[in-house]
Amino acid sequence: MSEFSIEPILGWRLWHVRLHGNEYRLESFTWHHVSWPPRRRFEATCTIHRYTAPAGDHECGIYAFKTRALAEDLLRRYTGIRHCYGRENRELPPVRHGRPIALGSVSLWGRILVREKGFRAQYAYPYELHVIGGDDRIARELRDRYAVDVSRV
Amino acid sequence: MDIGLPETEQEIEITPLEEPVPTPTPVEEPREEPVPA
Repeated sequence: MSEFSIEPILGWRLWHVRLHGNEYRLESFTWHHVSWPPRRRFEATCTIHRYTAPAGDHECGIYAFKTRALAEDLLRRYTGIRHCYGRENRELPPVRHGRPIALGSVSLWGRILVREKGFRAQYAYPYELHVIGGDDRIARELRDRYAVDVSRV
Repeated sequence: MDIGLPETEQEIEITPLEEPVPTPTPVEEPREEPVPA
């Protein structure tokens, strides 16, 4: 049986920040060239379940972690920088030049499947973004395009 | 993204009163400058 709520869940995730034509957009971290639409909800789709994603017996849906720390940990694994001289590395790692990444919180709603570390959701929209490896122009463009707070890390 | 094991999944349904998507800021109509008579 599912629980009901009217408050969106806030999760944490990563996006690639890539040029689409001449404008910077958020792009899925794991599915290349899947761009998040500005000022419109991002809706989960699936080649098998189509618009009933996320399905319980599948891995479809929009993914997000429960905490910022888990999203940061994925970033460290992605960049290959996890520990510094045996101690936990608390700084965010540098990303490849010209390949900015956004770390941020994301509103999730609709049907949501909850696991111990995160969520698979039906609908999502960025809530707040922190751009890593990007300049002021990219941060400003994302702020204007998605109409959310954007800072540079 | 490793969000945990599928066996632990629980389903919730969230229907916000208003979708958390920013709406475009309404454009203010420019007021006409008062023209001195």
